[in-house]
Amino acid sequence: MKKILIVDDEQDIVESLKFVLEVAGFDCYCAYNGEEGLNMARKISPDLIILDVMMPKINGYKISRLLKYDNKYKNIPILMVTARSQQEDRLIGEETGVDEYITKPFELDEIVKKVEGYLKG
Amino acid sequence: MAKILLVSENDKKGKDIQEILQKYSHEFCYADNSTLAIDILNTQRPDIIILDTEIENFDLKIVNKKIKSFENIQTILLTKNDDAEPELLKNTNAFLQEPVSKNLLIATINANLKTKDSLDKLANSNHELARSLYQLNVLYSTSSQFAGTLDKEKLIDCLIEGIDKSLSFGLSCVLTFKDDAEPILIINSLYNISDRVLEALKLRAVLNYKSLFEKKAMPFELDIKNLKIEKHVKHAIKEYDFSVLRSDNMFAPIVLSDNFFGFVEIFRESEFTTEDATCFQTLAQQVSLPLKSASLYEEIKRNNKKLERLERLKSEFISIVSHELRTPLTAIKNALDIILSGKTGELTENMNKFINMAKRNVARLSGIINDLLDLSKIEAGKMDFKFEMIKIESVIDYVKTSLDEMAKEKNLILKTKIEDNFAPIYADSRRLEQVLTNLVSNAIKFTPEGGQIEIRTEVIDAKDINYVEMFDFEFRQLHGKYLLVCVKDNGIGISQENLAHVFDKFAQIENSLSRKVGGSGLGLPIARQLLEVHNGAIWCNSKPEKGSSFYFVLPLANEKNKFMLEFKQDLQKAKINNSSLAVIKIKSENEIIQSLINDEKLIKKSYLNNSIQENDKKDTALTMVIPDGDRFSADFLKKKLQSYTKDYKNLNPNCAIMYSYAVYPEDAIDEVELMKKVGESLQKIRE
Repeated sequence: MKKILIVDDEQDIVESLKFVLEVAGFDCYCAYNGEEGLNMARKISPDLIILDVMMPKINGYKISRLLKYDNKYKNIPILMVTARSQQEDRLIGEETGVDEYITKPFELDEIVKKVEGYLKG
Repeated sequence: MAKILLVSENDKKGKDIQEILQKYSHEFCYADNSTLAIDILNTQRPDIIILDTEIENFDLKIVNKKIKSFENIQTILLTKNDDAEPELLKNTNAFLQEPVSKNLLIATINANLKTKDSLDKLANSNHELARSLYQLNVLYSTSSQFAGTLDKEKLIDCLIEGIDKSLSFGLSCVLTFKDDAEPILIINSLYNISDRVLEALKLRAVLNYKSLFEKKAMPFELDIKNLKIEKHVKHAIKEYDFSVLRSDNMFAPIVLSDNFFGFVEIFRESEFTTEDATCFQTLAQQVSLPLKSASLYEEIKRNNKKLERLERLKSEFISIVSHELRTPLTAIKNALDIILSGKTGELTENMNKFINMAKRNVARLSGIINDLLDLSKIEAGKMDFKFEMIKIESVIDYVKTSLDEMAKEKNLILKTKIEDNFAPIYADSRRLEQVLTNLVSNAIKFTPEGGQIEIRTEVIDAKDINYVEMFDFEFRQLHGKYLLVCVKDNGIGISQENLAHVFDKFAQIENSLSRKVGGSGLGLPIARQLLEVHNGAIWCNSKPEKGSSFYFVLPLANEKNKFMLEFKQDLQKAKINNSSLAVIKIKSENEIIQSLINDEKLIKKSYLNNSIQENDKKDTALTMVIPDGDRFSADFLKKKLQSYTKDYKNLNPNCAIMYSYAVYPEDAIDEVELMKKVGESLQKIRE
């Protein structure tokens, strides 16, 4: 079973993502802040990461940069979730190696489809 | 009584004449050589000189030359016979022949004294006239300087300078108050002043101030402790002592009706005349009006700053709140979606109905938040636009496809009629989709079942647009060819009194019907702002029960429009970043402009990113917008072009380059004004 790491300080969001992704047949791991997320990513080497931008301690961009510049993890696709939609945020995302950008509020179906696209295709 | 000098070598003559003159109590001196004569002339300044032509040992002409250098010295020649050197005669007022008659001598002296007296008076009044004229000139130039500035400190400087020029004081004290009512005593002094004199001046200023408001309330707090000193000394080599305070002085308050700005006091060794006093009072009076304007201007500036800050805070507030709202909204929506998907178990019909109701309202709420965010971004000038050449069909197709479903649900016919599909526009297609989606979805909401909605386009000249008086402000800026898009429905329409407010923020929230159909009430204000950024316009026409037509126009893409849109964006960025921007215009023969453009040493490639060339038969005008450009960079380019002109002259002697520039924010703050300035000030570059 493919492993997905969900990192978001909003428990409810994590919960709902976990539910639909598990129904879709993925193994889900959850982290509720940046530090925890980064540690877990290094420990379990997930097949895909869903990452929130604004989090206490280490924000999403930083995690993305740390992982994408590390040969061991650079191939893990990262889907970035944010409430912001400004152009410059997208630019930072691109620079830090984010694969996909998803703006809140998002459709759960859309996320499931995207994840399946990365892990099956 | 007069002072009389006799120049002669004959002692006897000297004694005789002295005897006669002293009888009439005239002062007499005698010189028997040219050196002594010149010495006496320099030191004693005689009124009358008698020159004896019978001279052997020196040249009278030397003495005569010296006499000419003084004003109003009367010369009498004393001769043996009736002739004298023509050179001497030229400067002579009277002529006595020897032997001299006593009476004739006295009469001649008297007559010459009278002449001298009149001449002296004339010279004096001439002098006074010149002085008054000078003072008038100073008054005039000072008052025009007053008119040229709204800066309090500069105004005070001008006042002091004007007073100094016209009255040349030794010491001046000006009391003024800063914006925060902080009192300052500005001292301008010819010589240094000791600390003790300074203390005395401070005390004097406080006393003067208090005496002005003896029984009235004082407008500002002032005591010797909080009085600041600003001291300017011209020549520090000498120092004034207390005696300077005993020299002649004048004092004038600077007031305009109820507004008190301070006072000015000056000291001078020589006495002041009545004219001096008038001049002084006039200057003190004249500065009060511009000081009033300056303080009003300061106040406006302060208020503007406050308003700008509030406006920014509002935008930031909206943006933060909206972001914060999105996260819980996403959580709600996700939960509802999971339940509706059936993955948590079967739903009854009623459960389905109510969960869907919740979901619909979540969608509505997130729409409102998006609208709020959009509006706050546009208003703060922070929305990014991606302008490109597009055709309106693609926008219409997108909107039609995405709203077809919604129209079908209400049994509405959604038609399109595109008249001219070859007209490209320079626009942000996503923003236009937003505008059109808003208009069409409004039409769908407000049209009853079975109705019809039509999207129509045409190319139209600004002067052929059907003018709707209510939206007067929208049409003012339009000229040239436009693409017009019309969304027409046969729905419930809008009443006349509501029509005027459809583009106002939150307008439709007042309307109970709109609450039923949902929406933020921000769609149309957003559409209007978006079109404004595109240099377009939006308006509408409606009849209740018959239906509404919403129109918007966009300028057809051409070089000029493209240039102006980019210019507007650059200017917006400069405003947000508090940076400057320069617009430069160069006009010359086509060939010269082309070679300038191709020469990277002259014109940087980046300057041409947003530029426009306008050709007529022979000449090309090149206008460039340089973000972050200022006066310095504009002058620098001018200098480069100057030396270019010089080199080019050898090949083409008629080569001439016209140049002008305008800078934001110094010259103007909007793009139309800047273009106007730069167009008006074209001047030939001289090599």
